[in-house]
Amino acid sequence: MAERAKITMERIDQYRWRIPKGTRPGMRVDGVIYASDKLMEHIRGEQAAEQVANVATLPGIVRASLAMPDIHWGYGFCIGGVAAMDIDQGGVVSPGGVGYDINCGVRLLRSDLTEAQVRPRMKELVDQLFRDVPCGVGVGGSLRLSDKQLRQVCLKGAAYVAELGLADEEDLACTEAGGCLEGADPDAVQPAAYKRGNDQCGTLGSGNHFAEIQLVEEIYDEKAAAAMGLAEGGVAVMIHSGSRGFGYQICDDAIKALRNAPRKFGIELPDRQLVCAPVESPEGRRYLGAMRAAANYAWANRQALAHLVRKALAHQMKASVTSLGLRQVYDVAHNIAKIETHELDGQLRRLCVHRKGATRAFGPGHPELPARYRDIGQPVLIPGDMGTASYVLAGTAEAMARTFGSTCHGAGRVLSRAAAIRAARGRQLEKELAEAGVIVRARGRTGLAEEQPDAYKDVHEVVETVHAAGLSRKVARLKPMGVIKG
Amino acid sequence: MTKHCETFEHTADLGLEARADSPAELLEALGEGLYAQICQPRDIRLRQKRRVQVAAEGAASPRGHEPDAAALELLVADFLRELLRLFHLERFLVGRVRVERCDETAVAAEVAGESYDPARHELGLEIKAVTYHQLKVARDRSGWLARVILDI
Repeated sequence: MAERAKITMERIDQYRWRIPKGTRPGMRVDGVIYASDKLMEHIRGEQAAEQVANVATLPGIVRASLAMPDIHWGYGFCIGGVAAMDIDQGGVVSPGGVGYDINCGVRLLRSDLTEAQVRPRMKELVDQLFRDVPCGVGVGGSLRLSDKQLRQVCLKGAAYVAELGLADEEDLACTEAGGCLEGADPDAVQPAAYKRGNDQCGTLGSGNHFAEIQLVEEIYDEKAAAAMGLAEGGVAVMIHSGSRGFGYQICDDAIKALRNAPRKFGIELPDRQLVCAPVESPEGRRYLGAMRAAANYAWANRQALAHLVRKALAHQMKASVTSLGLRQVYDVAHNIAKIETHELDGQLRRLCVHRKGATRAFGPGHPELPARYRDIGQPVLIPGDMGTASYVLAGTAEAMARTFGSTCHGAGRVLSRAAAIRAARGRQLEKELAEAGVIVRARGRTGLAEEQPDAYKDVHEVVETVHAAGLSRKVARLKPMGVIKG
Repeated sequence: MTKHCETFEHTADLGLEARADSPAELLEALGEGLYAQICQPRDIRLRQKRRVQVAAEGAASPRGHEPDAAALELLVADFLRELLRLFHLERFLVGRVRVERCDETAVAAEVAGESYDPARHELGLEIKAVTYHQLKVARDRSGWLARVILDI
């Protein structure tokens, strides 16, 4: 589409490419893209590298404007970007660095079920999920929340759902940030967001969101897999969703509210969508307060979804949730900004870490990890496309040192939605997937076509790259057996 | 030239590109184009009307002046955001947009459509938001042009 600026990319090593600081005016740090040669071919064809360079101009950015191997062209920030701003050096927070779907993320439940038990009943299991888990555009859930209850969700996150009896202690312990960010400000959330959020907690949504029954196909790290309760031939369920209309509205309101902030704070922006304000300013604090409310809403949403999934499977398998061993492995956010302490040039610094289409991957020993994962590193959940595979990884010390404890978030798109629909024309995707052993139920007239396997980068290549680059290590590969989509 | 709106591709998102003879028609084309992504226009009956108004921030020009392209960019985004709110907040589907006023200080429109009825309306894309990314409004010899990227 628009005129393409030439961006210099120098090879640093086998999996890293540098966009030198001087490439664009105003860059404060280098851009660094993690990618294999194969993934680089696609990245060169897009404007994503230009976006990595644009983010490098934002005030307070330290080390580098980083991009993960699943990077693709977004709006403002690229998808797959990580940017950390030093709060004490005027570092900014940008709603565009988080995205519209605040705390879009992934949850994984493991089970004691085996492939032999579920494969023959996969159609019934998927139908049951499709009936019980609200999904699709404009579909509300059974959990209606008043504004007063929504304010509690903003403040408590997944713990609010636990109060309703839909979660256990272990769920919260095995969720990033315990399923709740402190400092959420329900007063910073506009009435429109409350209106959109009142019937969407416990709904999957549409687009790339899904719930998937998966086979644990291969284990790469026995010790870590054992700690996560995963074994070859086992069955797991992955849930991918976010903060729904509540979060989209909060982001939209924030981008408009911050429109004049760059001028006020003397920040020159190469793209309007990069609007931002210093973390330590009334505008920055207000956005962070609202963003945390949305993040907490998302954790409550995935918690409510997990409850629906557990109930559906138990019903169809004619067993109890406990006897099926449907316990939570972990829950990660991949669209979020968080205040974290990281070591930089030998000093501990307070940073605002933006992860937009990137997953936190804290290494072993980090105090935020629950005891069972303290030795192995944080579980990282990477959803692939519905025909290929998803991965479970573990965080590393290397990620802490290089990427503020961050790694990739998925396969990353290669085809636009329209191109995907064209590619699916005349094909029976549902039948093709069934022949490949994947039962799919999807709502909407084009959802399945847009999300077909060919629309995504090769998830294996993305995961091999972060593994080889040391940003996280492979623990298990999961193969889809049954999928529901909005 | 009559007004029209078509889509263009963006890897994760979707773009709308409209052309028209006047800024008012440009907004009508974009607004109707936006809703065509949400629901088939032929399925939306024009049963109810709504008013949509957007005021420009800190605009100084006198009322009635045709806006220049730069001033129109933010108005375009804000107008589409307001239109989208009708679906997000009220489940109202817009089938027709008539812009009554469009100058540097404000846009006012009357839109017609109906409430979403799952029995009759098959929804297409879930449009999360109207972005400001690469937002463009321009005027050339053949009229007005706008490009907007939607987050889906």
